[in-house]
Amino acid sequence: MISGKLFERIESLRLENVTKKYGENFAVRNLNLEIKGGELLILIGKSGSGKTTVLRMMNRLIEPDSGSISINGIDIRKFDPIRLRRNTGYVIQNIGLLPHLRVSGNIGLIPKLEGWKEEKIQERIQDLLNFVSLPPQVFTDRYPHELSGGQQQRVGLARAMVMSPPLFLMDEPFGALDSLLRAQLQDEFYRIKKELGRTIVFVTHDINEAFRLGDRIAIIDNSELVQVGTPQELIFSPSSNLVAEIVDSKRKYRHIDALKVKDLAQPLDKRYILDSGLSAASVLDHMSAEGLEIALVFDSPENSGRVGLTDVMKAVSSGKSLDEALKPLPLFSPETPLLEALLRLKTGGGSIGLVLENDKPGGILFSDRILQNLV
Amino acid sequence: MILTAELLQATLEHLVLTYTALTAGILVTIPLIFLSLYSARLASMIMRFASLVQAVPSFAVVAFIVPLIGIGFMPAVLAIMLRVLLPTIKNTYIGLFNVDSTLIEASKGIGLTDFQILKHIRLPNAYPAIFAGIKFAAILANSIAVLTALIGGGGLGPIIFEGLTNFNTVKILTGVLPVIGIALFLDFSFSRIEQRLTPEYLRK
Amino acid sequence: MKGDKLTAWSFNEIFAEIQRVWTSQLLSQRTLEHLYMFAIALFFSFLAGVLIGVLTYRNPRFADPIFNSLNIVETIPDIALLVLLLPVFGIGKTPTIVASILYSILPIARNTYTGLSNVPGEHIEIAEALGLTRREILFKIRFPLSLPLIAGGIRIAVVFTMGVVTLGGLIAAGGLGAALQNGIQLYDMGTILVTGIWIGILAVLLDGAAGLIEHILQVRYGK
Repeated sequence: MISGKLFERIESLRLENVTKKYGENFAVRNLNLEIKGGELLILIGKSGSGKTTVLRMMNRLIEPDSGSISINGIDIRKFDPIRLRRNTGYVIQNIGLLPHLRVSGNIGLIPKLEGWKEEKIQERIQDLLNFVSLPPQVFTDRYPHELSGGQQQRVGLARAMVMSPPLFLMDEPFGALDSLLRAQLQDEFYRIKKELGRTIVFVTHDINEAFRLGDRIAIIDNSELVQVGTPQELIFSPSSNLVAEIVDSKRKYRHIDALKVKDLAQPLDKRYILDSGLSAASVLDHMSAEGLEIALVFDSPENSGRVGLTDVMKAVSSGKSLDEALKPLPLFSPETPLLEALLRLKTGGGSIGLVLENDKPGGILFSDRILQNLV
Repeated sequence: MILTAELLQATLEHLVLTYTALTAGILVTIPLIFLSLYSARLASMIMRFASLVQAVPSFAVVAFIVPLIGIGFMPAVLAIMLRVLLPTIKNTYIGLFNVDSTLIEASKGIGLTDFQILKHIRLPNAYPAIFAGIKFAAILANSIAVLTALIGGGGLGPIIFEGLTNFNTVKILTGVLPVIGIALFLDFSFSRIEQRLTPEYLRK
Repeated sequence: MKGDKLTAWSFNEIFAEIQRVWTSQLLSQRTLEHLYMFAIALFFSFLAGVLIGVLTYRNPRFADPIFNSLNIVETIPDIALLVLLLPVFGIGKTPTIVASILYSILPIARNTYTGLSNVPGEHIEIAEALGLTRREILFKIRFPLSLPLIAGGIRIAVVFTMGVVTLGGLIAAGGLGAALQNGIQLYDMGTILVTGIWIGILAVLLDGAAGLIEHILQVRYGK
């Protein structure tokens, strides 16, 4: 048993002159970075830029060759690596659920090793599954290969949260998901992030994701930190052409007023569209069969909405109709000005809108795409 | 003491028995494999049967021959051959069919006929597996040849069983040591041939 | 009915013949002896095999010498191995069980070693990141994930053990091999056929059961 909290809260996570070499090649070169307590810092860069190495040094999966990393002023080399990792939530792109353990076994692994009482472990698992919107009665006893990609990702998140770590390290957690599902999970993650109020270091190569989730963004290129700042700072005062290119600053000169919804709408896979007359149970069947995590209900402009797989499950298990599970789905015509569309998406609280062509679903609009173009 | 000439004679008989059965086994394997190339159903039937029979102890197989065709050299050969068939069939089959399917697709794509694919793609890929099968079969044949002494197959077996009956350790060793020698020699020489035949790109 | 000709073809005659062989050759008792030796041998092969597998995984430099030696044992014909043990253990059940174990250790040990060493890196990596110690990774991750492969090794061992235990009949170990040998020595076709078929059925059933367990483990661990 390696119990006990190393720290209740992260005040600061500081990297000083950190260097890591593999043979002759630098993976990380002389990196200085301070992460503040409670913020979500994005590490962004191309593949091979060294961003993942930086992340993996923070829980001592990799030891730097020189320089130091400290949490709340204490060098992390003073911590037992096992204990440090149990105080850190870790989520990776291919999720890494252990195939031989059920959902409960995956989430409860570390508490069990820490010697928690069985009831306490079970209670914690239930709470976490509810928290990540997976009904426990459905998912507790499933094996990872019985889950969809999005569900696996949620379980991965629940597992990372089980010890209530003050620090989360996330390596492209949504990288393997399709764009609609990614948008949905990013929405949920944004909510979770605010509820948790924890310090999060988040690796991605997707600038949209970075803008959407990050408090600050650190751009890493060629093993070196290029610039770190809030999205606004990066956009309005990029330190180099490279940064400008990554954040696509030039777009701010575009005439937003001239852009219409059709300019940024993306094609929509018809599988996602459901008729509104269907029962919750048949929708659940359809979504499971097609492997959908989210579906859009539409048969007339008055009768439409979006629904997630877990909402449908909840509706089925509590005997509600599909209509009660629907969330609002903003509708746009291709000619709607983008500014107006954005405003409606913002007030609606969602990030997905349906674009109608001749009163038929024709495309889909993601708010992060607009945001990026509007900056 | 057993005369050296007698021991030599027995060893020779043992080798003849082993190799006759092994050769017979290989000769039976070849048409079966070619047939199974043309019929997936036949192939799967053969494989199922082979795996099933592989579980049956050798002693039972050897004994079973007696009521069917009696005792003597030929029944002994048949008993050994039946046992030897399984590893050769199984390994040849696995070798021929466990070829990367994209490789087969690509070969079809460049216009190779089925026979050309078999000759140039499947067979070279299968050599190591086929050889491992034959090596295993050879060692197995040597071992069962001892047992077939019980059904009048001759060779080194009778010396061992005579020693067993009289609890004569020297006699037992006189029979057993050449058998072990043959086994180790087979293992060694087949491993060498196996190495030679393995295509360059598959070598470790 | 006893004799050197196969004449028993009607159902009643076949049944009577089976009954005759079963009582005269004490096949119930022979079967129990057989399964007793089988169970003991397999149990110790399993213990020793897994132990050697874990040991070689922990100290890979021992892997080559140990597996090469076991390979030589495997090359020696089973009957020769059995006979070689006689001067040390005498005749009977003990040399039979020891020979079975010597023969069956290799498949279990090698599969355990291969399984433990070849768990996909991503699983190990996530386990490290979650904060599992080396020991916990061995027992909670590597071992369970190797179970299908270890079961495959045990299945091979089941076939080997069955084969050697049957041979035990030749060195006064009892079991079904003894009945088979009686049949050959008395030139009693009925005994050979009934005992031979019975051994075959037992062997196929045990192999099938081992195969089923292997299959269940493969499905269970998402392969």
